[in-house]
Amino acid sequence: MLRNYFKTAWRNIFKHRFYSIVNVVGLFAGITFTLLIGAYVWGELQVNKKLNHAGRQYFLQSEWKGEDIHYSITTLSPIAKRLKEDYPSLVANYYRWDGITSGVTKGDKSFREGIQLGDSTMLSMYGFELLAGNPSTALKEPYTAVITEATAIKYFGQKEALGQTISIQSFSGGKSDFTITGVLKDQPKNSVINLNGNNNNTIFIPTNTYAFFGRTSLEDWSNNSIPSYIELKEGATIAGVEKAIHQLIQTNAPDGIKANLTIRPIALTEYYLQKDNGLVKRMLYTLSLIALFILLMAVVNFINISISNAGSRMREIGVRKVLGGLRIQFIMQFLTESFVLVLVATLFALAAYPLASPVFSGIVGKSIPALSSLPLYFVLVPLVMVLLIALLAGVYPAFVLSANNTVNSLKGKLKTVKENIVLRKSLVGFQFAIALVVLIAAVIVSQQVSLFFSKSLGYNKEFVVASQVPRDWSPAGVKKMQTIRNEFAAMPQVSAVTLSYEIPNGNNGNEPQVYKSGGDSTKTIGMQALVTDENYLSTYQIPLQSGEFFDSRMQDSGKVVINEKAVAALGYKTPAAAIGQQLRIPGDPTIFTVKGVTSNFHFFSMQDAMSPIVFFNVYTAVVHRYLSFKLKPGNTTASIEAIQKKWSQLMPGSSFEYQFMDDTLKNLYANEIQLKKAAFTATVLSLIIVLLGVLGLISLSVHKRVKEISIRKVLGASVPHITLLFIKEFAAIVVLAACVAVPIAWYLMSGWLNNYAYRINLTAQPFLLPIIALGLMTLLLIVLQTLKAALANPMKNLKSE
Amino acid sequence: MIQLKKIYKYYNTGSKKAYVLSDVSLDIAEGEFVSIMGPSGSGKSTLLHILGLLEEANEGEYLFLGENVSKLTEKKRTELHRNQIGFVFQAYHLIDELTVYENIETPLLYKGLNSSERKSRVAELLDKFNIVGRKDLFPSQLSGGQQQLVGIARAIAGNPKVIFADEPTGNLHSDQATEIMELFKKLNEQEKVTIVQVTHSEHNATYGNRVIRLKDGLIQR
Repeated sequence: MLRNYFKTAWRNIFKHRFYSIVNVVGLFAGITFTLLIGAYVWGELQVNKKLNHAGRQYFLQSEWKGEDIHYSITTLSPIAKRLKEDYPSLVANYYRWDGITSGVTKGDKSFREGIQLGDSTMLSMYGFELLAGNPSTALKEPYTAVITEATAIKYFGQKEALGQTISIQSFSGGKSDFTITGVLKDQPKNSVINLNGNNNNTIFIPTNTYAFFGRTSLEDWSNNSIPSYIELKEGATIAGVEKAIHQLIQTNAPDGIKANLTIRPIALTEYYLQKDNGLVKRMLYTLSLIALFILLMAVVNFINISISNAGSRMREIGVRKVLGGLRIQFIMQFLTESFVLVLVATLFALAAYPLASPVFSGIVGKSIPALSSLPLYFVLVPLVMVLLIALLAGVYPAFVLSANNTVNSLKGKLKTVKENIVLRKSLVGFQFAIALVVLIAAVIVSQQVSLFFSKSLGYNKEFVVASQVPRDWSPAGVKKMQTIRNEFAAMPQVSAVTLSYEIPNGNNGNEPQVYKSGGDSTKTIGMQALVTDENYLSTYQIPLQSGEFFDSRMQDSGKVVINEKAVAALGYKTPAAAIGQQLRIPGDPTIFTVKGVTSNFHFFSMQDAMSPIVFFNVYTAVVHRYLSFKLKPGNTTASIEAIQKKWSQLMPGSSFEYQFMDDTLKNLYANEIQLKKAAFTATVLSLIIVLLGVLGLISLSVHKRVKEISIRKVLGASVPHITLLFIKEFAAIVVLAACVAVPIAWYLMSGWLNNYAYRINLTAQPFLLPIIALGLMTLLLIVLQTLKAALANPMKNLKSE
Repeated sequence: MIQLKKIYKYYNTGSKKAYVLSDVSLDIAEGEFVSIMGPSGSGKSTLLHILGLLEEANEGEYLFLGENVSKLTEKKRTELHRNQIGFVFQAYHLIDELTVYENIETPLLYKGLNSSERKSRVAELLDKFNIVGRKDLFPSQLSGGQQQLVGIARAIAGNPKVIFADEPTGNLHSDQATEIMELFKKLNEQEKVTIVQVTHSEHNATYGNRVIRLKDGLIQR
C-alpha cells in the first residue's frame, strides 16, 4: 500500500511539474535557510560548553556605581587568586590575564599579535590540549610562550615549533626572545581565548614577564584592568562566592573602589550569550524568528498550491472512495505526497548546505559549523523537520480533499470552494505582510547603517588609513616617532599624518574625572581622554571652534583641548568662554589649562550619545599606538604601497598592518552590518517565496478560468480587461497586507532605532517604497502570466471543453 | 438481495422541497440484470447512487443482502464497497496517474490482498479481457472502449455481488458499446454477477432481463 502511495505521489508530482517545482524551490530556500540558522544557533550555544567542568566555570564581571564609565569585563587583579587561596572550599581554580598587543618577529615575518599575559593555570583549568609541550610546566618560566596552532604555521610554516623562539617588542622600544614551550591545539570558540571581538589572542605568556611589558603587577589591588575567571568547587554556591568577594573587596581594595564596585560571577556557559546586553542572544532570537517565518511562508505556498490544485485531484479521490478507500487512507496518501516533496526539497537543501554556508557565514560574520561537525543526533533534525513540515503542509489539503462528498468528488466539484478562497487569500496576505515587514526593516536598517558612515560623523573618514606602530613609551620614543611622522608627512601621496593613542573606533584608553580648578573636587565630570599630537584635527578634519590646538614645539605641557560637549558639561556658555579656564583631575596635582575647543564628533558608536572629550598632548602623555595617514585623492593602492615601502625603511622589523577608517567603522558597527545583511538575505528569500506563491496561484487561476476568459473575449473583453480581472484578485490582498505590515514594521523598527542616540527619523519613504516595489513585482507577474491566456484564440479553449 | 421500501430523496430549494425520488420501492434478486431507464432528470442516477451507497435517501428503508444500510458508518460502507459492490461509470473514471495494471490492482489493495494474490487476480482479469498487452499503458493512451474494459475489469476485481453501471456505453460508439454490453451479459450469465445499469438506450436495455422506468422520480408501472 505504501509503495502505491509513493508511486502515485511521485507521478502526481511529476505530472504537475510546474507547481511541484514552485513548491520545491520555495521549500528548498526555506529549509536551507533554516538549516543554516539552526547550525549557526547551535554553534553559538556551544560556546564555552566544551571547557573542562564547563558548568562550574565563572567569569568575574564588574558593576560600578555612579556615572563613571569603567569596563565591566575587567576587575581587581588579585581577587581571583585570593579567592582560591583564602576560600579553598569555594573556589577550585582561577585564571587571569592582561591583554596586550605587540609586534612579533620571526626572521623576515613580523606581525602585531594579541597576547595574553596570563596565569599558568590556563591549560589545566580549561583542559586546553597542547599539540606539543607539557601543559603543567608550559606557562611557568619567564620569557616563554605558548602559541596557537595557526600562529605556529604563520611564523614557522609548520605546527612543530616547540623550543623555537620568537622575538616580541616591549613598550619601551626593547625586544626579547621568547622560547616556545607549547603549541595550543585549535580550540572551539570560548570566552577565555576570545573574550570579545577585540580580543583575538594568539600568544600566551606567563604573568611573571609583566615587567618586560611595563605592566602593573597582578598582585596590586589598584590594578583593575584584568579579566578574571574562577572555577567553583563542586557544591559551592554563588551566594557564598559573592560574600567572599565582598569581604575581599572590603578588606583590600582602595577606598575609591570599595564603595563603588560589585563583582558578580557569571557562569561562562551563559556569559557569551548575555554579554553586551544579551547582544548574541538577541541576534539568535532575531535570526531564528526570521528562519521560522520564512519556512512558514514556504509552507503556506505549499498549502495554497495544493488546495488550488485540488480540483484535478477530486475525481481521483471520488473513484478511490468508490473502490473502497477509507478517508484515513486518502489522508495518508496526501501526506505521503507532501512528504515526498518536502523530502526532495530537504535533500536539495542538505546538498546545498556546504555551498551556502560560506555565503551565510559571510553574512553573520561568523563561521557556520559544517554538517559533519554536528553531533550524530543531528541526523534526526532533518528527519523530524521533513515529517513536521510534511504534516504542516499536507494536513490541511488532505483533510479538505478527503472530506468531500463522493458524488461531488466524482463530478469534480469541490463543495467548500468559498471557504477555501477566504483561507487562501488570508494565507497569501500573511505572506505579503511578512515580506513587507522584512522589506521595510531591511530598508530602515540600511538607512540607519548609512547614517553611521555619513558626513554626520563630525570628522572626515575618507582616505584615512591607520596602522599601529612599535611602542616606545618614553619622551625619546615619542621624539623618534615624531621624526618618523614628519618623514611620512613629506611624502607626496600623503596630505597629513598624526600620531595618537586613539583613533575614532570607540576604543580609548582613559576616562578621567574632570572638575574645574577651584571647584568642588567631588563633583567631577567623566570625560573621554584622547592622546594625540598637533596634527590630529587636520588629519581627521575635525573643526576647531575656538582657541588653538596643540603646537608642534612640545610646549603644551599642562594644556588640554576639549570638545563642545565638555564645554557644556563644565558649564561654560560658549566655546570661547572656556578658553584659558583651568581644569583638574582628582589625585593629580597638575592644573590643566584649556587651550582650544573642537566640534563634537562620534568617537563611539552612534548607539551612545556623544560624550565630553578631553585631548591630552602625546609629548607629555608619551603613550601612543597609531599613525593615521590622510591620503591625497588619487591612486590609493599606489599610495599605500609607497607608505609600506617607507614604513619598512623607517621602522624595520615592524609591519604596516593598515586599516582604512571605513573598515574600522565596519568593525565598530559589525553587529548592525550583520543585521543589515541578514535583513537583506531575509528580504530576498521572502520575496522569492512570496513571488513563487503568487506565480503558482495566478497560473492555477488562469488555468481554471481559461473558459471564462474565452467567453469574455467572445463577448468583447479587451486584453487589459482580462488582465484586470486577475489584478483585482491580488490588489486587495496587497493593500490589506500593507495595512497589517506597516504598523508592525513601524513598531519593531522604532523600537530598534531607539537603541541609538543618533538615529534616522522614520518617514513615509521606507514604508511606501517596499509596498510599491512589492505591488509592482506582483503586477508584473500577473500581467506576464495572464497575457498569454488573454491573447490566445478563444475558440481553441472553448472547443476543448 | 436489494430491497428499497418507500425511498424519498429531495433537495431543499428555498422553502419548497424538490423531490428527486418519491415513494420508490423495488426488489432486485441475486443474479438479475436490471436496466433503469427514463428521461433526463427523472432521478435515474440518484437512484443508482442510493443503491450504490454513494448517497443516502432522506426517507425510506434500504436492505442490502438483508441488512439495513439506510444509515451506515463510513467504515461499514467502505467494507461493502470493497467486497460486495462494483461500479462502472460513463466517463470510465480511471485514475490517470496509474497504469492499466495498477488501476485494476487498486481495489485489491484496499481490500488488503497480499502481493501474490493481487498479482494472480490482476493477471487473470487482464487475460480474461484480453488486455495483457496494454497493462503498462496509462488511461490516456487507450481508446474509450478500451478504457471502459479496464473500468469493468476494475469493478469486478474484488468479486463483487453486484455491479452498478451508470450509462456505461454513453461515451462509446456502437461497436464498442455492443462489446461492452456483451461483456455485461456474459458476466451476468456465467458468473452470476447481479447487474444494475442506468441507460438511455432501449437496445442496451434488451441485454438485461428487467427494465425499471422512472419519470419525475416515480417508478412507472
